Amino acid sequence: MAGTKSALVLCMDVGFSMSNSAPGEEPPFELAKKVIQKFVQRQVFAENKDELALVLFGTDSTKNPLDRDGQYQNITVHRHLMIPDFELLEEIENQVHPESQQADWMDALVVCMDLLQTETKGKKFDRLNVALLTDLSTQANQDHLDVIIENLKQAGITLQFFLPFPAEDDEEGGGDSDRRGPGHPGTGKGLSREQKESLDLVKHVMLSLDEEDGLDQVYTFRDAIEQLCMFKRIERRPMAWPCQLTIGSCLSIRIVGYKAVTEERLKKMWVTVDAQSNQKEDVKRETVYCLDDDNETEVKKDDTIQGFRYGSDIVPFSKVDQDQMKYKHDGKCFAVLGFTKQNLVRRHQFMGSQVVKMFAPKDDEHAGVALSALIRALDELQMVAIVRYAYDRRSNPQVGAAFPCVKQDYECLMYVQLPFMEDLRQFTFPSLENNKKLSPSDTQLSAVDSLIDSMMLVQKDDDDADQKDIFKVHHIPNPAFQRHFQCLHHRAVNPGTPLPPMEPWLKAALERPDVISERCQAPLEEIKRKFPLIEVEKKKKLKTSAQIFGKDAEEPDAKKAKGDEEEDYNLADIAEGSVTSVGSVDPARDFRTLIKLKSLPFGEVCQQLTHRIEQLLSNKNTHYYMKSITCIQAFREQSVKLGNADLYNSYLQSLKRSIPNRRLEVFWDLLVQDAITLISKDEVEGSTVSKNEANQFLVVEEKKEEAAVPSAEDTGDVDDLLDMM
Amino acid sequence: MAEWNAYYQNEDEDEEQEEGEQSGGDYKVTGRDSLVFLVDASKEMFIKGEDGEPSNFDMTMQVVRSVYTSKIISSHRDLVALVFYGTEQSKNPRNSFKYVYVYHDLDEPGAKRVQEVDALRGEKGARLAAETMGSGETSLGDALWCCANLYSDIKLRLSHKRLMIFTCRDEPHRGDSAKDRQARTKASDLKETGVIIDLMHLMKPGGFDVAPFFRDIVSQPEDESELGLHLEPCDKLEDLQKRVRAKEQKKRAMARLNLCLGEGINVAVGIYATAVTARKPAAIRLYRETNEPVRSKTRTFHMQTGSLLLPSEIKKAQTYGKKQIVMERDEVDSIKKFQDPGLYLIGFKPMEKLKTHHHIRPAVFLYPEEGEVKGSACLFSALLMKCSERNVFALCRCVSRRNYPPRFVALVPQREEVDEGKVQFTPPGFNVIYLPYADDLRTLDPPQCPSASQIQVDKMKEIVSKLRFKYRSEAFENPVIQQHYRNLEALALDMMAPEDTEDLIMPKVDQINHRLGPLAEEFKDLVYPAGYNPESKSVAKRKTAIVGGVAEKKPKAEVPEDELRAHVQNGTLGKLTVPVLKEACKQFGVRTTGTKKQELIDALTTRLAA
Repeated sequence: MAGTKSALVLCMDVGFSMSNSAPGEEPPFELAKKVIQKFVQRQVFAENKDELALVLFGTDSTKNPLDRDGQYQNITVHRHLMIPDFELLEEIENQVHPESQQADWMDALVVCMDLLQTETKGKKFDRLNVALLTDLSTQANQDHLDVIIENLKQAGITLQFFLPFPAEDDEEGGGDSDRRGPGHPGTGKGLSREQKESLDLVKHVMLSLDEEDGLDQVYTFRDAIEQLCMFKRIERRPMAWPCQLTIGSCLSIRIVGYKAVTEERLKKMWVTVDAQSNQKEDVKRETVYCLDDDNETEVKKDDTIQGFRYGSDIVPFSKVDQDQMKYKHDGKCFAVLGFTKQNLVRRHQFMGSQVVKMFAPKDDEHAGVALSALIRALDELQMVAIVRYAYDRRSNPQVGAAFPCVKQDYECLMYVQLPFMEDLRQFTFPSLENNKKLSPSDTQLSAVDSLIDSMMLVQKDDDDADQKDIFKVHHIPNPAFQRHFQCLHHRAVNPGTPLPPMEPWLKAALERPDVISERCQAPLEEIKRKFPLIEVEKKKKLKTSAQIFGKDAEEPDAKKAKGDEEEDYNLADIAEGSVTSVGSVDPARDFRTLIKLKSLPFGEVCQQLTHRIEQLLSNKNTHYYMKSITCIQAFREQSVKLGNADLYNSYLQSLKRSIPNRRLEVFWDLLVQDAITLISKDEVEGSTVSKNEANQFLVVEEKKEEAAVPSAEDTGDVDDLLDMM
Repeated sequence: MAEWNAYYQNEDEDEEQEEGEQSGGDYKVTGRDSLVFLVDASKEMFIKGEDGEPSNFDMTMQVVRSVYTSKIISSHRDLVALVFYGTEQSKNPRNSFKYVYVYHDLDEPGAKRVQEVDALRGEKGARLAAETMGSGETSLGDALWCCANLYSDIKLRLSHKRLMIFTCRDEPHRGDSAKDRQARTKASDLKETGVIIDLMHLMKPGGFDVAPFFRDIVSQPEDESELGLHLEPCDKLEDLQKRVRAKEQKKRAMARLNLCLGEGINVAVGIYATAVTARKPAAIRLYRETNEPVRSKTRTFHMQTGSLLLPSEIKKAQTYGKKQIVMERDEVDSIKKFQDPGLYLIGFKPMEKLKTHHHIRPAVFLYPEEGEVKGSACLFSALLMKCSERNVFALCRCVSRRNYPPRFVALVPQREEVDEGKVQFTPPGFNVIYLPYADDLRTLDPPQCPSASQIQVDKMKEIVSKLRFKYRSEAFENPVIQQHYRNLEALALDMMAPEDTEDLIMPKVDQINHRLGPLAEEFKDLVYPAGYNPESKSVAKRKTAIVGGVAEKKPKAEVPEDELRAHVQNGTLGKLTVPVLKEACKQFGVRTTGTKKQELIDALTTRLAA
């Protein structure tokens, strides 16, 4: 139980008979040693305030306070009552060996009792316990049996026995027969006379301490090892939160809240240490502030102030001002805002990370009755209270729901936080059922049906109303903690060796139960057949990224300014994976991409581009003219790059010829302004145009204006232009 | 109490860790989201409804404002623009479009913009709009083109582009087919560049007919059902707000995983966070002189040598049972690794096995990713239908990302629900409920209390019935966050005082009292004896104090020195209480900065061990 403290004496038999074993079996000594090792490990990692002592008997030497006149011989108090640590674990590992004497286990018990009584004086323990690990091979002295039992009772000391064999034969095993599986070695038959007598004595002692369940505290070594392999679950003392539940200002009920469910975390964090010295003092972390300039000028923390972002604005807002202006409230509260139907509070809208249970204070039965009235009223009406909850003045208030919980032995309200408007994200998703392409057929549905049948984790017994749940998550210890402690323990005991693999039991606890795995084989095969699942290839992924990033030019200007053309194209490649033709939106960019991709012949891409240019020019609008010009620029740029000037030159020449006819003078002026001319020999070897001609191409225009008119006739048709390519 | 407090102080840290898990994946997609409001400013928009109901224009401005403010709170990096069309005046980057007024170009919304939108609200706003923009001819094509330019002028990488048209005119060009055609072309150009166009059509006399014109303008819905296009126009602010909000945020998967049913049966699913605790954003540090943000750099260095430590030069350690246990950094990570990320089906359980109190963190939402594994949607849909029909949930083991230990989750089926306007209010998919491990459940010791009698219960039922209301999750604003932003707003805009916030989670005490009337007294008479006052703290204790006359002072807690030393030696100081430890600190003149128990213990230990 959390919050309590116990004192425990481990009393282990190390006498010579403990080393005896049937061939192929581990001797009882080794098993007993494992039990105490596992137990102490758990205690060390649980870090509670429980104290431990270790008494060995059957030792060659004698060292105990009762050692007098040849009594209580061969019993050694190895460690006095204190909080267990790794030193103890190392001692157990290295100093506890099988020895060659035998001692009376009853004497050892008396030594333990004495130890508990003297060493717990002045301290408060909630539980005193002695765990005896022995094979019971020595004859026990029964002279003072009654006195011992009486003393145990008076001192409130409980006893546990760990034996190599079960205390009861299976036929009388009764209630807890399920706890011990088959295959335990050394059941009743192989016992010696001494063992049988001692076992009777053990039973007698245990039953006189607890008539009903006394024998439940007698374990076999194997059972114990199995149960102890789990590290203790993290326990925290429940802390009471006294408050008043209020309904309006006239009605209040005293309540006490306790955290009942919350995601537990490890109590300790990793500390950073220097790799050489392993000292945390050698490592210092420091945070410095610097301006966002080229020199990263450092500024002192004192020279910084606090600010917040308000959209695009940054607002300086000092801590003092912030505290003064922030939302303030009256502190601790659990106030009902109203009541609502339980089904309006949806399970998936629970917020926060905890469930708090509210009870009435222990000493106040009036509050108990009042709270009970509320709990039962809510339970009968299937309603919940919506409340304002504030832990204290410093913490933020919440809105939440208090659910009624009526159990056999107690009643309470369970508080869960609910979302604020700001927390919610209203996403809409395409309908699944109304989509004919996706909706499953009847045979597919029945395959899923039989899968569910085969994989039900809750089994209904026909004769029993009870349902048996074969996979209770809340009974599984957090595997992360188990693994964490396993590794820590390994590293502590075997420094310098690699971390061990995961414990098999832990692995198994996280898997589908075997029964289910077997049963669902066939239905799963059926599912596989009925539902084709095809992993979409990587190529498709490229397309999605294009969709995500968008297709239009996002940062070309910035990029170009840096002359970082190559990278621009790489970017374009990624973003434009799906470009298959020169589109109307950004033909220039599409054109570049297609050339780069080389997926289409150069001529064809140029044809697509000029087609777009002609479309744009037919609109007679400055915007379209500008767009056309960027296209022509791209055309020129790529032609030069590829060393193919013919297509461009002939297009530009025919375009020039068609200007007067199509009344595109304004456009031509723009072209002249930008000095977009023919590609000359100097630029591309194969060009038939000299540099001079190229320069003249634009200049002569004005003079030839009139002359151009007559010749326009044969070049006016756009389709002709395109056919040339 | 100390422990509770400690929890609360730690909560932020804890949640930071969680945050990584919850929303860390949100911004995996590079680039900003953008949203353009394209609002009709024709005369028709300014016609007020009957009974003084706000005009369509007014309603739209309210919605725009609420989107601005919510963007500021939840995603300030998103870009928003506000453009009017059908105006008399024109204002756009190159002033090449007539009748288009770019009120705000694409940028992060800030305080000033909120104020400017505010100026357009109400009666005054209508007047201001008439003065600055006026109403003129309409060319939706030009307006769309202008918006396209807004997008292309942005130097930033945009990841999600959305354009919302607010209008009450179903035939904006009054049958001018050339203009209609131009608008269609421009719309398709926009759509080709990945802009999603939505229509927020508003009420007009005679009804709004989407079919003739706007059907070709707006983007096709993601699926082929009719759901995407709302055929009913909005006439209520609330409706409009809901519709806008549903579209305004881009849904993004936190993670894409496989839901593995068995060997080789992998359904691709996306995990979405539908409810994430909104927090006050972290403060940023500014340089005092210039108010410019400073960057912080954290470095680790050696205390003795002063040299910077490389990651390879540090290790991680924990101390248990007086022993320091040291591990390499990658070992610490590897301990946490169990399986590769994914969801693995364990089996099914009836819904009643899902306990209300098994709650450890907010749920997330699962939806198939047909784009990753073809056929996922079909199998997912079949599972959803069958689980829902049979009222079972699927129990899965879930590793949400690399090097995360497994958690078990319940996949709870959720069928799609739509309202009368065919707007989806519950999406189809599985809600993922995280289940607690044994460690997460605490053992409590419930007090034994008598139960209430049926008469008492019935009286409480009357009270409960009086205070019934219909809970809606979006009804409560977070007063802390609202106040914070009002404060910032006031500072940013040099307002005299922040706007008042209404604390919606404050009980309306007067109303409650009024509704209850005599019921409260009647109930109290039934359950409390005369003179019992639940308000007084710990009734029983106070009584003894009064009986004893003068309240006794607590005896001073002192422990003899040798005992203390013994505690230090045995490492059992922890057994002493905090007041005792504090007293001991005083006794030895140990100065402590903290009041936490461990700090006191540490201080004493160093002192007495020396």
